[in-house]
Amino acid sequence: MTTKERVLAQNKVAKLTDIGRLIKDGDSVAIGGAWLSSHPMALVRQLIRSGIRNLNVMTILGSVDIDMLVGAGCVDRLMFSFVSMEAYGLPPNFRRAIEKGELKYDEISGLAIIIGFEATGRGVPFLPYRGPFGSDYLNQRPDFYKKIVCPFTGEEMTAVPAIKPDVAIIHAQRADPAGNIQIEGTAGSDLELAKAARRVIVSVEEVVPTEVLRENPFKTKIPRIYVDMVIEQPFGAHPCSLVPGYVGDPWHMMTYMDMAAKPDTFKSYLDQYVMRSEDEYLEAAGGLKQMNLLKKLAREVKSL
Amino acid sequence: MSSYSDDYTPAEMVCVSVAREIEDGDILILGSFTPLAFVSYILAKVTHAPNMMYMAYSSVDAKPFPLTFATYEAAATKGGVARWNMTECIHSLYLGTGVDVEPISSIQADGHGNINISVVGDYHKPMLRGPGGAGAPEVVKMHRKMLGYFPSHNKRTLVPKVDFITGTRWKISNQERMKAGLRPGPVKLITNLAILTKEEEARPFRLTSVHPGVTVKDVVDNTGFELDVPGDVAQTEQPTREQIRILREQVDPYGMVAFDFMPGKERPAYLKGILEKELQALGR
Repeated sequence: MTTKERVLAQNKVAKLTDIGRLIKDGDSVAIGGAWLSSHPMALVRQLIRSGIRNLNVMTILGSVDIDMLVGAGCVDRLMFSFVSMEAYGLPPNFRRAIEKGELKYDEISGLAIIIGFEATGRGVPFLPYRGPFGSDYLNQRPDFYKKIVCPFTGEEMTAVPAIKPDVAIIHAQRADPAGNIQIEGTAGSDLELAKAARRVIVSVEEVVPTEVLRENPFKTKIPRIYVDMVIEQPFGAHPCSLVPGYVGDPWHMMTYMDMAAKPDTFKSYLDQYVMRSEDEYLEAAGGLKQMNLLKKLAREVKSL
Repeated sequence: MSSYSDDYTPAEMVCVSVAREIEDGDILILGSFTPLAFVSYILAKVTHAPNMMYMAYSSVDAKPFPLTFATYEAAATKGGVARWNMTECIHSLYLGTGVDVEPISSIQADGHGNINISVVGDYHKPMLRGPGGAGAPEVVKMHRKMLGYFPSHNKRTLVPKVDFITGTRWKISNQERMKAGLRPGPVKLITNLAILTKEEEARPFRLTSVHPGVTVKDVVDNTGFELDVPGDVAQTEQPTREQIRILREQVDPYGMVAFDFMPGKERPAYLKGILEKELQALGR
């Protein structure tokens, strides 16, 4: 949608199965969230279910989202600064694909990716910063990091190009039907992704009337001028966290790591958990009982 | 009775040594989940550095919290005074005001002040594909002090030259750093055996101290790059009884600090044990 169309559209609510209207084979897709937090996992599972292929996936700090898409064969090329399962270990599918030479990838430092998204959001073809001088990023990607001289001080800087994904997918706490998005906890650079992408899909824990957002307007981080589609999907970040609502699911993460360890058991993981409806996924992952436990763990935390 | 403890693990020794590098008034960042570093921050905050500020995930200036496995992020988030998303964090801290310390553990480190979290072996056909650097280039170069910690001091980790420079200190001596517009500060590597410090471009890392029970030969034999060994090498200051008590009773009640020191195969069972204890605590 054009910005005007986005402003005019008062009801952007769609179903998870509608995302094929906005994402096609071969698209570049930027994925929101960071670390093991707030990734749009229901949207990722839906992409896998739909059998989409040849995506150019972009992540700043990825984890199970990236590993799953790579393992399911959806990714042709990956731009990343970091893909890690942190305490659970190295991401098995990501690691296997690169070590076997089966995945094309662009390893870019985290700040450079964020600044590349920001450039698009500001409508400029590049932005300068004090780049990773002395690192091998510069040697590996001379086409991405360019030397530039400040016209005012003569100082040497690094320019990075504007990054323009076709689509951004994001998960957040709350939205109204017009696509104003509230984010309460851990946030990657989701706003910059939304500003940079041509099409933006946001799944949320709940869709509420606009009046509810007006009660806490400071939580609204992405206004509707950047959003094309809103999908209500409770626990849409599972097994990642969406604090303060729920913690990540360490039991499911360990199951994932066990099953992703080998290609054939990873296929069983996809069959058991992903290649069915999202409701069936949540049921297979422990249902309401497990989801309520993750909420309770998030609620009852203590400080010293 | 000495105020120093004789009852501590190698992980606690490293943890306390990292905490001692944190000064009151420092700005720190909790990024990717590294239990030992998180415990060090919180220990410093509740002991000698109460005014230190840390950014934990999107939570600015979080209150100290007991480290858990299932709930650390929720705890950090609940205790914050503000929220910054990742873009605000990099603008304000990495590129702006500047972070003082952000302990980092890497696959390899070398004698030139470089670290590697990207690949082991050839870049395009790696033997091991690591997670990648995230903010490492800035963490290593721009923070006031570069602090690396290594649970296993050996020649596979501390190498003559890293296979890929994910992050580099770039300018090392205070003079060179200030000339390049960077804040002065050393490179320190804290390992299970010793503390190594580099402060001059042309000189190797100095063996600053060896931990109690470790010999100079142990350190030299297990380091893949040249060391500057003074005639009389100091012993690393032991953890105090008070530090160990606070660590075990308040900051790290589940023993998360041991996690980094564990072989990969033992980690899932250890984590499951911690989760069991967390669930029991939830019921109370």
